Amino acid sequence: MSDEALMTAVRDGDLSQLGLLFERHHVALFDYLARMTGDRAAAEDLVQDVFIRVLKYRRSYREDGRFETWLYRIARNARADYFRTRRPAEPIVEELEHALQAPPVGANVLEHERDIDRLRRALLLLREDKRELIVLARYRGMSHDQIAELLAIETGAVKVRLHRAVKDLRDIFLQLSERPSWTVTTGIRT
Amino acid sequence: MDRDNRDSDVNEAVDVWQLLDQIPAEPTNSDAMRLRFQAALHVERQRVRWRAARWALTAAAALVLLASGIVIGRTTTTPPMPDATLVELRQELRDMRQMVTLSLLQQQSATERLRGVTFTSQIDRPGSAIVSALLDTLMHDSNVNVRLASIDALKRFTDRADVRRAALDGLTQQTSPLVQIALIDLMVELNDRGALDTLQRLSRDAEVNEAVRQRAAWSLQRIG
Repeated sequence: MSDEALMTAVRDGDLSQLGLLFERHHVALFDYLARMTGDRAAAEDLVQDVFIRVLKYRRSYREDGRFETWLYRIARNARADYFRTRRPAEPIVEELEHALQAPPVGANVLEHERDIDRLRRALLLLREDKRELIVLARYRGMSHDQIAELLAIETGAVKVRLHRAVKDLRDIFLQLSERPSWTVTTGIRT
Repeated sequence: MDRDNRDSDVNEAVDVWQLLDQIPAEPTNSDAMRLRFQAALHVERQRVRWRAARWALTAAAALVLLASGIVIGRTTTTPPMPDATLVELRQELRDMRQMVTLSLLQQQSATERLRGVTFTSQIDRPGSAIVSALLDTLMHDSNVNVRLASIDALKRFTDRADVRRAALDGLTQQTSPLVQIALIDLMVELNDRGALDTLQRLSRDAEVNEAVRQRAAWSLQRIG
């Protein structure tokens, strides 16, 4: 049964079908929110909030659009409301500390882990609208068309903004690495 | 920009894109999220059922009142009601609602008790008897859903010291993780610094349900 059919049933009063939608989407939704906020606890709260809003606004659902797009529209609003009254948490750096304390391994492997952590921090330092484009396209696998529908902009604009976002991300990464140009180590080539 | 620079930009963008894939996802605590979602869904389903029943009852009562009004209006002629009588009637109506609510809260059936808890929200300026009955429900009702609903109902009275005290006591006395989590969330909502010691103990107590421990630890970061 499609997401849209399940949500239509929920809208028409069969609330039990929302359990299936929760099972299908909560992990991906948590991933989106955790990558957007850098705060696991906030992401868990927000997943809860999003599904409560789905319940609350179920009668406003129209089956002519994709359920996933509607769900993420709610998630974006929930996230904005959440941080309207709270300060975003500091990015999690424990993994970097762990990498620094790890037993000596191949120098390339360690440097590669640091690169990944720098990129994660660079992503959290990136302007929020740009970070969102990258998270939706890279981690949620949304097409340019779907992102355009979600953000209510043209597909062409999504492509241009995504390209700029990746460029900005690279620049922040280079600043964090204190490197003049892009020379990323790979854990594989030791 | 020359062609070499453009090629370099494109290659670097591809590299960033590939490296992004290696940032691992944050671990997901599905059990805790599912638990909270199911509790919220359950409360909403109860609310929908109660709303449907209330609508039917209201419609029936309205019809009876309308019919009685017409009959009485045709058979009697009454002088205009004085203000004092109106105030007295309103007080009687409020007392009657309180009595019905207290009676519902004493019923054997959990559904009836849940109705009683929900009914408290419709009472304008409820008396201490209602607050005491809700506190009693929170501390002693055998049904988890009724206890959960009582927490929502008590939110109106969190300016009262006895309500805050009972909510704090409930954190350690309640046996249901769902109720404990709802009480922790209430402490966060109230930003109750007086709850910090209890929450600290909960977060460290190995006997306590893991989801509750995690929620208590989370709440310590929120209250400040």
